[in-house]
This record gives sequence, C-alpha cells and structure tokens, in this order.
Amino acid sequence: MIYKNIVCTLCGCLCDDIEVVTEGERVADVKNACEFSRSKFLNHAKDRAKHLIKKNGKLVEVPIEEALGEAAEILKKADFPLIYGLSSTETDAQRMAVELAELIGASIDNTTSVCHGPTIQAVQDCGAAKCTLGEVRNRADLVIFWGCNPAEAHIRHATRYSITPRGLYTESGRKGREIVHVDVRETKTSKMADIFVKVKPGRDYELLSAFRAAVKGYDVGDVAGVPSETITQLVEKMKSCKFGVIFFGLGLTMTGAKHMNVNAALRLVRDLNDHTKFTINPMRGHGNVSGSNDVMTWCTGYPFAVNFSKGYPVYNPGEFSAVDILARRECDAALIIASDPVAHFPAQASEHLVRIPTIVIDPKINLTSLIAKIVIPSAIAGIECDGTAYRMDGIPLRLKKVIDSEFLPDREILKKIIERVKA
Amino acid sequence: MIIKNGTVYDPLNGIDGEKKDLFIKDGKIVEEADGKEIDASGLIVLPGGVEIHTHIAGSKVNLGRLFRPEDHRKDPVSRTGVTRGGVGYTVPTTFVTGYRYAKLGYTTLMEAAAPPLGARHTHEELNDIPIVDKGCYTLMGNNYFVLRYIKEKDFEKLKNFVAWLLKATRGYVIKIVNPGGVENWKWGRNVNSIDDRVDNYEITPREILTGLAKVNEELKLPHPIHVHCNNLAVPGNFETTAESINAVKERIHITHIQFNSYAGDSWAKLASGAAELAKRINQRENVTCDMGQVIFDDATTMTADGPMQYGLYKKTGNKWYNSDVEMEEGAGVVPHVYKAKSPVNAVQWTIGLEMALLVKDPWKLCMTTDHPNGGPFYHYPEVISWLMSKRARDQMLQSVHRVASSRTGLGGIDREYSLSEIAIITRAAAAKLLGLKQKGHLGVGADADVAIYEFRRDDIKRSFSKAKYVIKDGKIVVKDGEIVESPQGRTYWVNAGGEVTEEMREAFSKYYTVALENYPVQDEYLPRGEMISCG
Amino acid sequence: MNYMKVILISGRTTKQGISLEMGKTSEEYSNNVAVIMMNENDMKKIGAKEDEHVEVRTKFGSAVVRCKESRIDRGIAFMPYGPWANMMISADTQGTGMPNYKGVEAKISATDKDVLTIANVIERIKEIK
Repeated sequence: MIYKNIVCTLCGCLCDDIEVVTEGERVADVKNACEFSRSKFLNHAKDRAKHLIKKNGKLVEVPIEEALGEAAEILKKADFPLIYGLSSTETDAQRMAVELAELIGASIDNTTSVCHGPTIQAVQDCGAAKCTLGEVRNRADLVIFWGCNPAEAHIRHATRYSITPRGLYTESGRKGREIVHVDVRETKTSKMADIFVKVKPGRDYELLSAFRAAVKGYDVGDVAGVPSETITQLVEKMKSCKFGVIFFGLGLTMTGAKHMNVNAALRLVRDLNDHTKFTINPMRGHGNVSGSNDVMTWCTGYPFAVNFSKGYPVYNPGEFSAVDILARRECDAALIIASDPVAHFPAQASEHLVRIPTIVIDPKINLTSLIAKIVIPSAIAGIECDGTAYRMDGIPLRLKKVIDSEFLPDREILKKIIERVKA
Repeated sequence: MIIKNGTVYDPLNGIDGEKKDLFIKDGKIVEEADGKEIDASGLIVLPGGVEIHTHIAGSKVNLGRLFRPEDHRKDPVSRTGVTRGGVGYTVPTTFVTGYRYAKLGYTTLMEAAAPPLGARHTHEELNDIPIVDKGCYTLMGNNYFVLRYIKEKDFEKLKNFVAWLLKATRGYVIKIVNPGGVENWKWGRNVNSIDDRVDNYEITPREILTGLAKVNEELKLPHPIHVHCNNLAVPGNFETTAESINAVKERIHITHIQFNSYAGDSWAKLASGAAELAKRINQRENVTCDMGQVIFDDATTMTADGPMQYGLYKKTGNKWYNSDVEMEEGAGVVPHVYKAKSPVNAVQWTIGLEMALLVKDPWKLCMTTDHPNGGPFYHYPEVISWLMSKRARDQMLQSVHRVASSRTGLGGIDREYSLSEIAIITRAAAAKLLGLKQKGHLGVGADADVAIYEFRRDDIKRSFSKAKYVIKDGKIVVKDGEIVESPQGRTYWVNAGGEVTEEMREAFSKYYTVALENYPVQDEYLPRGEMISCG
Repeated sequence: MNYMKVILISGRTTKQGISLEMGKTSEEYSNNVAVIMMNENDMKKIGAKEDEHVEVRTKFGSAVVRCKESRIDRGIAFMPYGPWANMMISADTQGTGMPNYKGVEAKISATDKDVLTIANVIERIKEIK
C-alpha cells in the first residue's frame, strides 16, 4: 500500500510529505525522506522490545498482564517516583503520563531539560519574537544559524524552510537570502552558509552582548575571538535586512552561560525589532518534544521539571529535572517512556536507574532497557499508531498509522497502568 | 429531575423572576418529569452562563502559560477525588478553566481566537476543558486567501474560501483582529485607520470588513463578524470603531469594545468615547458588542494583534512573546497589571461600565473581561455588582484615581441592571447572538444547563461567586460551589460548505509548509462534535 | 606519555542519528558513536593516526574510543552524543537541569586498550558507587 503525506516524527522538522510504501506488515520503501527518516521507517521492525521483568538478576519474558501489574505496584508504592521522557511519543500518551504523575505524586520531566530547557527558562524571563517556519520560507532574506548544525541534525530544514525554498516574497530562493553560520567549529552547515563566524567555546554570551551593544550604536572591540569589524558588518546586515531570523541550537543551551546565552539572543532579536522585522526560533530536536512542552503546560502550567508530591504541580528546573533527581539519588522508582537516558544522560545520573526499580516503555530495546527492572514494548507513534505531534515551531500535525502492530500504543499502556494504580 | 420552587429568570422566554418548577429529563428541559428533587426555595434559577469571548485554549494561550510561571505559583490547585490539579490565576490550565467557569455557573464557552494552522492545538486543549460545551472562532482578517480574493474583487472565491476554512478549522465564527494590520506586522508595520494601506495587497481594512461582513450574511452564519477593531488601545480610537461600525451595513459584533472606546489625543489626556459609540449602537439594529471590562488585578494580555502587543511591550517594558503564523495571522502576549491609582487604568475601568450602562438594549451587549486581557473571569461577580448597584460602583469610583471621575460620565449614571438584564448579558444575549437555540434559556427543548444561586442584594459579588447548584445536560456538576462531577462537553462548529479549488491547492503547495491534505482538523479532534449546518 | 589537553564538545552527527534507528547495541552504532574528532596536528602530537584508539579522560570519567581527523581548531575535540561521551560529563547542572554536554576539559592520549563496547559501558555505569 502507498501512503502519501505521512508525517515523520524523528526530528523537529516534522516533514509531512513522506511517502511510505508498505508490504504486509513492514515498510518496504520511503520517498522524500532524509537519511534519518529513511532509517527510522525502514528499520521500524528491528530491535523490538519484549515484555520483560528482571528476576534473579536476569531479564525474562513475561505475559503483558504481569508486566503491567508489577509496574503499577512499583509506582503505587514509591515515595518519590520519577517519570521521564515523552518526546518520541504522541500527545495523548503525554497527557496520560501527566495524569499518572499526578495520581502517584511523581516528578515528571521530559527531554527538554537536556535540550532546550535553558531556552524556555530564558523565554520565561523575557519572552521571544518567533514565527512559524513558513514565515521564514516566504519572507526571510537573512538567516543566521547560531550554535546549531542543521546539515547534520535537521537535514531537510534548509530545503523545506530556511535556505533554498522559493516562497511568496522570496521568489529568487537561495539567491535572495544571505546565510550566516556562527559556531565554535566549521561543520557541514558552514558549507551551506555565505559567512562563517567562529566563536570561542563558551563565549557566546559575550558575543551576543557585543551584538546588542552594536545594535544600540556602541563601538565594540574584538569579542570572543570575533574581530570588531566582523561584528559591526554583521550587525549592519541585521539592522538593514527586510526579514531576519536566528535559528539557534544546543551550542547556546549547553555551553557556558546556558540559559543566559539564550537570554542574550532573545533580547538581541527583541532590540532588532526596533529597526526591522526579526524573529528567533529554537531548533527543537526530537519529533514531539514541543508536544511534551505544550501538553505539560496546558495540563500543569509548566513545560518540564514538574513535581506533584503535594498534589498540585510545582516547577523547578534543577530540582525536579531528571538529571538532577537521578544525580542526587532522590527518586526510589522511575518510569522511562519514549526516551533513553542511559544513552543520553551523564553516567553519574544514569547509574541511579540501575539501583532503583526502573520501568521502561519503548518500542525498541535501548540502553535503559538493558538495566531495567521491567520492560514494556509499545507501538511506534507515527508508524504503528496515530496521534498528534508538534513541530519545532509549535504547529500540530496528525500522525497516521500505516502498519498494524501487535504492540499497544503508549497511551493504552499508560491507561492500563493508571487503572491498576487506582484499583 | 425537578427543580422546585425556584425564582426563575428566563428572559428569552419572557420569564422575569417567577416562582416556577423546572422539569428535566434525558438532559433536556421538558414539560413534566419526576425523579430527584432539588429544593430551590429562596434561590434564583438562571440558564447556564454563555461566555461569548474568552482566551482559554490554543497556541497563544499556552505561550502565555509557558512564560508566566511566576503567575501560576500564586494559585496552585490541588487534585481531588473528582478533579485534576493544575494552576489558576491569569492563565489557568485547561482543567482549572473548566472547573472555575462551572463554579460561576457557566456551561458554554467560546474560545475567541483560533489560528487555522494551529486549530488542532486549540481543539486538543478544548478537549481538556471539562464540563462546559465549547466552540472556537476562526481568525480570518489577515489571511492570505482572504486578502487576495478581496484584492481580486472575487466575491464568490472569497465566500467559498471562508466557508471551507470554517469547516477545515471546525470553527464557529468569522473572527477578525486588526484587519490588515497583522499582515503589515509581518514586515514590522501596522495600519493606523480603516482606510490605511495593507502592503502587497493594496487593499484597506475597510474592504476586509465589508467583504467578510457580506460573506457572513450570504453564508447565513449564526453569528455576525466578530471584530477586534484596528487601533486597539490607542487614545482617540473610538473614531476608528465608529468608522468600522459605519462601514458595515450587515451585522457586526465589536468585541471588548472598552479597549476601542478611547477619546483624548494622548494617554495623559485619556477620556471616554463610550457615549459616542453607545449612541450609534442604540440607533442601529445591526451592531452588538461585548464589554472587555478592566479589573484592578494582574492580567495577561494576549491577542492576535501582533503590532499592538509589541507596542504594549515598548510602553511597559514587560516581557513580550510574539508568534507570527504563516499566511494567516499573528499573536502577541504581554503580562500586565491594572492599578486603581493609575490614572489610565482608572479611566479604562470606568469606560467598560459606562458602555454597558449607556447601551440601552441589553440584548445588544454581553459581559466580558476579554479574559485574561482585562482581567481573569473570576471577577465576573464583581462586574455584576458594579452593574447592579450604583452604590457599589460609586464606592469603587471614589477609591480609584480621581482623574477617572472627570474623564467619563460614569459618576452621573443612575441606571442599575436588574437580575433579568444580568441574565441577558451573561447568558441569553450570547446564546441568541451565537444562534445556539438550545442554550441561554429554560424553555421546553433547551439543554438542561441550569445555574442556581443564593442571591442577596446586599452582597451581589458573593451571590454569583459560587453557584449553589450547576446542572449540565441534566446532571448536577456543581454543588455548594464544589465540582461533584466532571463530564466532557460538546464542541460546536459550523459547516457552511466550501470546497478546495485548484487555485487553493496550488497556493498551498507553493507557500505553506504543511500539505493541504494534512491541514484540516480531523474528526478525531472532536470526540463530541456537534455540527451546525448553514449556507 | 604524550597527552593533549582539549575542550570536549558533544553533539549530533548524521551517522549517529541514522545508526540510532538501527539499534544502540549494533556495531554500526558503536562504529559511529565511539569516536572523537580531532585536529590533525593535535593527533600528530599524541602520535595517533586515523581510526587508532585513544583514551579520553576528564575529571568525571574516561573512555577508549577511535580518533578521526576533522576540520576543528586545535585544542577542541568533538564526540557524538552517546554513552561514550556521557561517561566523561558531570551530572552537576548548576541548578539549571542541563549538564555541561559541551565544554568540559579533557586529556587525550594514544592507547593500546580496546574500545569500550556498549556492554562495557553498561558495566561501568553499574559499578559507579
């Protein structure tokens, strides 16, 4: 069967023009997809997880009822459970996770905390002037990639949204745009740019502040390894363009001043709005991390790092973010869903997951499932079950089911756990 | 169920404080029924409240929630056996929104502004607002296709597109915010009058208003065009509002009219233009409005009026969120606070009330605070007390900045709203204006959405703060001010036909970043959808 | 022993992303992620050639990976996100929730030791006291 206009949920681009060809219960071919997407669709049947419980030090296969029952028992009994992940699943599952967290008084966090959490913290301080990706496609004549590498992390971003498309007011496509890349090292993204600016590692805050000063008319010297002349010229371009945009990534959120880097960038763009039209947009990584922020925000008021121990939601990154709870060894049980902290967290945080009963809900065997107490396999959102995912700019799209699967969707699994906890 | 011995106010059916029994069966008001009896002696019985304009669901509301943790921390809400937890204050979470409106006696809410590309988000949030019935208004006043077909003077294409867009977004109303101004904002500009130029389209806001008003009539949509006028919150803007009213001969609803009723040529000289506008509304049969009353409290301003929100950030220095949506609309969010001792805020406060008191026919007016722009809806009971009691509002007038008394005529107005008139402006008028025939009244056939209050004339605010009983579709959902049951409500939307054309398909693939096939809101987002056919 | 002091950055690469979907226990994943990208002159200084093994040490841990030449400044080295890089990054987020994934001081030296397998990595994690 041929399915058109399928949404890929791998990265925040959420491309929705994927053509999927299925043969029986497998994906035979994919068109329009980038390499990541191809790999995701074609390998959907690989490395699937099974229902497992660790008994006498070994993970053994068990019937689904036993896995669900044991998971509910663990979560019910825990004094300070942690629910983490969410970014690779659809919004109904995310809503169920929040409901479960509230029921058992858990801390609930999603992958934002190790990705664009600092961005959200900065936005909470000063707001952000953003736009949807089509505005960039249709109007932008100056595009700056700062601390991000779309050529290797958001592969079709350049052709669908930011560099080459011909849009409503950008009929000359690439020719009508000036592309700038600011980073600590040259990458494949630099090759797509007209100008590459190398910034010293950990010094983006100084550089962004220098830009702000230059926008306000001050003379700035050489800053963060960037010559004064470069700064002045770039700022001139930014003030005189018709529609400028900064796309930024983990180069700002993960280094040096972290959320203060982003704060400086947001304020720079705010200041530029006194001169021309300028927006700033974060390059969100996971396909539905935006969704996890939106769902948690409309249900609890807060986008990540939330705790329900008191029966109402409390927000505090650094206190209720997963890496911190794990590093301080505070939680006594963990439910990891749609993510792999053992692969992605510092080892000193992941190791606590070995010590406590950890329940993993995921379509695939991942590193966290190797050390888990209970493993529950689920259907892949966007291939084996439907739902909603939110693009990096906040636009929601419907995921379709193109393959029948023996595995339950995450939302069903969570619903069953909730029923057993309530019983 | 029988509601016995209550004093019923049902203005749509001419019932004005009559002792009457009400009979409910299968979720509807009926002639006769038996079953559980609610003793309503000494209590007043009104239809469930109908909220005609509030910001409760969707991307810009969620941006407001996201960037105001400091606002949430003041008002955490614990879960109970029946209700979910969350936070309140100016941007409450979805569950808390439903519970608090229900506790006030409201049973139908209309989300005032849904951007089409984000309509799925609006519906996802609406689905998480418990108890009440809902709908949303589809933003159209800065839409590429709307502007293009007005420029090309192709009325049939405009009509078709508008109908299709309403269906695709499962919306209820043609919503227009700063027509043309938000399109200009995409290049950093605005419009300053209804005859100013919309860049790249060479049309005027006036043409957008008249074009969409005409489409509205031809499609026979239940509600008029719902208009947030140009020049919102600009001193002297009552003239823009008057011009907008004059421009349109079909029905037009001016929303949060307080924010567009300013006289004076500067903030320092801010005065009320309410009298002038009320006069026009009184003279015409095609114009209605809702108040947009300001409350002295924290607020979060959030509208689709991108340039206006930017201006508010520049004036106040408060943090600012902007979100332009490709091909369609914009949005801006800026925290705000209204202070009684601020001369500007004091004058703003008087204007909303003045408007409500000078518009003679209560069927032409609905009570709103444009939540959360003018203030949280939790203050509705206080607004009611100011309308019903001259003493209460004079007392307030004494305590605000003295400039307010000289810049408006509020002090000289004696009128006091009766209970029946309150019932009109908080339920019956909205239901009628929205064409919701089974809402806003208690006649046979109406949905059994009932609010029962203990009314004391010496404490009006308290009387309306917590309903004694609220019944939704014949089920008791609120008892003694607490939620006892939390069913899911319906979502109303309007189907006026409309088809995709080749031209639309082509423009979509060239300029949008989502496939046309993926654009319309799918059935899955309306688990209890109720379609209303028109056109 | 010759070692090189660098600032270690971790991030995404295409190969890491693709092999993610092939399974983290796969050989592809290990080949694409248990690597460190270095400046060619830095590599010369420690006597390591392309694809040879190096040991990377920070205050927080160490890992043996393969080295690859890259267009990167001297004094900076890049590793793809994943369990090897994460052996060497602190879990202290300074109250922000975000570890220092980019920008930790590291020492790199050539070595004969075997590249850590995923199984090794898991064992190491389990052993942390």
